[in-house]
Amino acid sequence: MRGAALVATLALLPPLIGFHPYYVYVLSTAFLFATLATAWNLLAYGGQISFGHAAFFGLGAYGAALTSLAGVSPWAAIAAGGAVAVAGALLIGAAAARLGGAALALATLAYAELWRGIAQNWTAVSGGGAGLVGIPPLPTLAAVPLDLTRGHTGSYYVSLAVLAAALGVFGLMTRSRLGLALRAVREAADRAALLGIRPITWKLASFALSALLTGLAGGLYVHMVRVVEPDLVFGRFFSIVPLVMAMFGGLHSVLGPTLAALGLHLFSELLLHPVAPALHQLPYAVALIVVILYLPGGLASLAKAPRD
Amino acid sequence: MLDVRSVSVAFGGLRALRSVEVAIADREIVGLLGPNGSGKTTLFNVVSGLVRPAAGEVWFGGVRITGLAPWKIARLGIGRTFQIARPFPRMSVFDNVLAGVTFGARPASRRIDRAREVDRLLATVGLAEKASARASTLSLGETKRLELAIALSTRPTLLLLDELASGLSPKGREEVIRFYARLRERGLTIFAIEHSLAVLNEVSDRVLLLDQGAVVAEGPPRAVFASRELRAAYLGDE
Amino acid sequence: MPLSTLMQTLVSGVMLGCLYAFVALGFAMILGISHSLNLAHGEIVTLGGYIGYGLWAGSGLHPLLLIPVAAAALLPLAFLWHWMLDRLPAPRALPSLALTFGWALLLQALMRVLWPGPHRLISSPSLGASTRFGWVTLNHGRAVVALAALGAIGALWLAVTRTRWGRAIRATGLDRDAAALAGINVYAATRITLVLAMALSGAAGVLLATTHYVYPTAGVELTLLAIVLTIWAGVGRLLTVLLAGLLLGIAESLTVAISGPAWREPVIACLLLASLLARPPVD
Ligand SMILES: Nc1ncnc2c1ncn2[C@@H]1O[C@H](COP(=O)(O)OP(=O)(O)OP(=O)(O)O)[C@@H](O)[C@H]1O
Ligand SMILES: [Mg+2]
Repeated sequence: MRGAALVATLALLPPLIGFHPYYVYVLSTAFLFATLATAWNLLAYGGQISFGHAAFFGLGAYGAALTSLAGVSPWAAIAAGGAVAVAGALLIGAAAARLGGAALALATLAYAELWRGIAQNWTAVSGGGAGLVGIPPLPTLAAVPLDLTRGHTGSYYVSLAVLAAALGVFGLMTRSRLGLALRAVREAADRAALLGIRPITWKLASFALSALLTGLAGGLYVHMVRVVEPDLVFGRFFSIVPLVMAMFGGLHSVLGPTLAALGLHLFSELLLHPVAPALHQLPYAVALIVVILYLPGGLASLAKAPRD
Repeated sequence: MLDVRSVSVAFGGLRALRSVEVAIADREIVGLLGPNGSGKTTLFNVVSGLVRPAAGEVWFGGVRITGLAPWKIARLGIGRTFQIARPFPRMSVFDNVLAGVTFGARPASRRIDRAREVDRLLATVGLAEKASARASTLSLGETKRLELAIALSTRPTLLLLDELASGLSPKGREEVIRFYARLRERGLTIFAIEHSLAVLNEVSDRVLLLDQGAVVAEGPPRAVFASRELRAAYLGDE
Repeated sequence: MPLSTLMQTLVSGVMLGCLYAFVALGFAMILGISHSLNLAHGEIVTLGGYIGYGLWAGSGLHPLLLIPVAAAALLPLAFLWHWMLDRLPAPRALPSLALTFGWALLLQALMRVLWPGPHRLISSPSLGASTRFGWVTLNHGRAVVALAALGAIGALWLAVTRTRWGRAIRATGLDRDAAALAGINVYAATRITLVLAMALSGAAGVLLATTHYVYPTAGVELTLLAIVLTIWAGVGRLLTVLLAGLLLGIAESLTVAISGPAWREPVIACLLLASLLARPPVD
C-alpha cells in the first residue's frame, strides 16, 4: 500500500518539477496506451483475444468528436464516445458469441477494418478520409490552478487519472463476481455453464467494459490531438499496441501491461524515434514475436509469485 | 422429482439411448448400472443439458427442462460430477467451489456468507487445508473430492454422481458409502452410476440396468444383480 | 449496366480471381499442413513483389523471368517459419496468429525502410499493351498473370494429388499423428509445404506487382483476401481455392463497377466477418 502511494506521488511530479513539455506529452501518451492495454486485458481475462481494439478506440474517438463538434461539453462528449464504443462492442460480441480463440481474433480484426472503411466512406458524418478537425481542447477546471489543467500538463493529469481508474476497475473486476465468472469461462466454458454461469452474459459484459475504457481513452485522445481520421483512430496501430503491451506484460496480470506499455512506449519514443523514426513500430513487433516464442506468460511470469 | 420420458439419443448411426424412462422420487437414491458404453453418462448428459435428445422429454420438479441451456438447469437445482473429474485446473480450490456457490441455485436466505459456505463445503469433503492450492496440484483422490464439492456448490436438490466409487481402494469405498449416507441425511435426491454391488446395496433404494441404451431391468440392488438381464448385458447374449 | 460493360467486368473479374487464388495459395497451404494462421502472408507476398520490382528495375529483364529469383529469395522464410511453428504449443491457431501478426509488423517496417517513398509497379511495355476482342479489351499483363496463376495452381494440384510427396503432405495435413504412425516423415512434409508456400507467395508477389502497385502495407488486404478464400474453399482444398478466387474476383469487379473502388476494403472486411461467422476455419 505504501509502495502504491509512493508511485502515485511520483507519477504526479513530472509536470511540476519542470519536465520538458515533450516529455510530459510522451508520458501522457504512455499512460493512454497503458489504459488501452489494461482495457484489452480485461477482455482477455475471459479468454477472448482481440485483434481489433482499434474499432472501439475509433468509435470512442468519432463518437466524442462528433458530439463535441455539435457543441456539447468535451467531458460529456467523451462519455458519449464511451457509450458508442460499448454499443459497437455489444454488436460484435453478440455476433461472435459462438466464436472463440483464433476465429474470434480474426473476426475482431475484420470488424476494425470494417469500421475504418465505413469511416472513410461515410463522408457526410465522418468527414471521409480527411477526417474531422477543429475539435475543442479539454476545458480547464475552475477549481484547480490554470497551469495544471491546460495544455500538455492538463492532458498529463487527465491521462494519469484515466489510467488509475482503468487499473482500479481491473483490480475490482478480478475480485468481483465478474472476475470469477470470467476465470471460470476462460478455463472451461462448458463446465462453467454447469455451475449456473451463462457464458455469453459475462463475455458480453467484459466486451462492454473493455470497450468502455477503450472508447473513453479514444474520446480523450481526440480532445488531446484535436483531429480525428479513419486511418489514425481505426488504424491497425491501435489494435496492435494494446495487444502487444498486454501480452508482453502478461495476460491476466493487473500491473504487467501497464509496465510493458510504459517501457515499450518510452523506449520507442525516446530512444528509437530520434535515430530511426521509420522504425517506431519495430519494438512492438519484436516484443510480440519474442514473447510468443520465448516467454508465453509475459513479464508477469517472471515475477516470483504469479497470480491469476 | 426427475422424470425422463422415452428419451432417445443418437450419435450418427449409434443409438446411445433408446426410449429411456426413469422416474425418481424426492429423496430417493437410485443406482444406474450397465456395461461400458451402455449410455449411462449420456443419460446424465441429457439431464444436465449437455446433450439434446433426439426424442423424449425430461421433467424436473414439474418443469420441462428438455432443451434448456445447462446453466439454467444447474440453477434449477441439478448438480453433477464427471466420471473423470474436471475442476478448473488453474483456479484455486476455493475459487473452484466459490463459482458454483456464487452462480448456482438461489440460496435459501438472501444474505449468505459465500466464503463460509465454501469453507463448509470444503470441510465436508475434507479439503479445508487445500483451499488456496491450485486445483491442478491436487492428487487424484483430492481431485475427486473437489469434484464432489463443486457438484454440491450449486445447492442442488438432485445430484447426478458418475462413478464416485470406481477406482478406489476398499477403504476409499467405505468413505464413499459414508458420504452417500450423509447426503441422504441432507435430504438430497441422488441418481448414481456405480458398478459395485457392495456400494449400491448399501446406499441405493433401487437400481436401473442399462444395456445398449435401453433400460432392461429395474428393482432392488440384489435382485438386479442376480437377474438374467444382468448376465446377458455383461456376458453377451446366451 | 450495358452488356458490353458487364462482359468486360466479368472478364476482368475472372482474371483478377485467378491472381487472388494464386495469392491465397501460400496461406491455404500453411493452414492445411500446420493448422496455423499466417497473418504475415500478405506482407510476404508484398515482399516478393518488392524483390521482383528491385530486380526488374536493376536488371531490366522481363518480369516473368524474375519470378523464380523472387521465389527463391523467400526460401529462408520457409525455414524460419518451420522453426517458429515447431516452438508453438498446440493448439497453434491463436499463438500462430499473434506471432505472425508480429511478423507482419516487422516486415512492414522493413519494407518501409528498404523502399521508402512512392508506391512501386513493374510496368513492362509488353505487359502494358492490350488487344480488343469484340466487346472486350484484354490487357496482356493481366492475361499473362491469370495464365501463370492457372498454370501454377494446376501444377501444384497435380503435384499434390499424383506424387508420393503430395500424398505425404495431404496425409500430414489431415492427421499429423496418424500420418507419422503410417511411416510418413511429417517433419519433411511440413518443410516441403512451407518451402512451396513461400516460393509460391514470392511468385504471386511478382505477378501482383505487374498489375497492382505495391506499398509496405499492401499486404494487410491480401491477408484478408487469402483468409476469405480459404474459408470459402475449405481447408486443404486447392482447386476450390481457384473457384473461390474466381467468385471473389468477379464479385469485386462488379462491386467496383457499380459503386466505385471506395467500398472495396469494407466489403472485403464484411465478407471476412460473414465467412467467419458462417464457417469458422479453426476451433
Ligand atoms: N459426444 C459423443 N459423440 C459420439 N459418440 C458418443 C458421444 N458420447 C458418447 N458416445 C458414445 O455413446 C455410447 C455411450 O457412451 P456413454 O459414455 O454414455 O457410456 P457409459 O455407459 O457411460 O460407459 P462407461 O462405463 O465407459 O462410462 C458409447 O458408444 C460412446 O462412444
Ligand atoms: Mg460413463
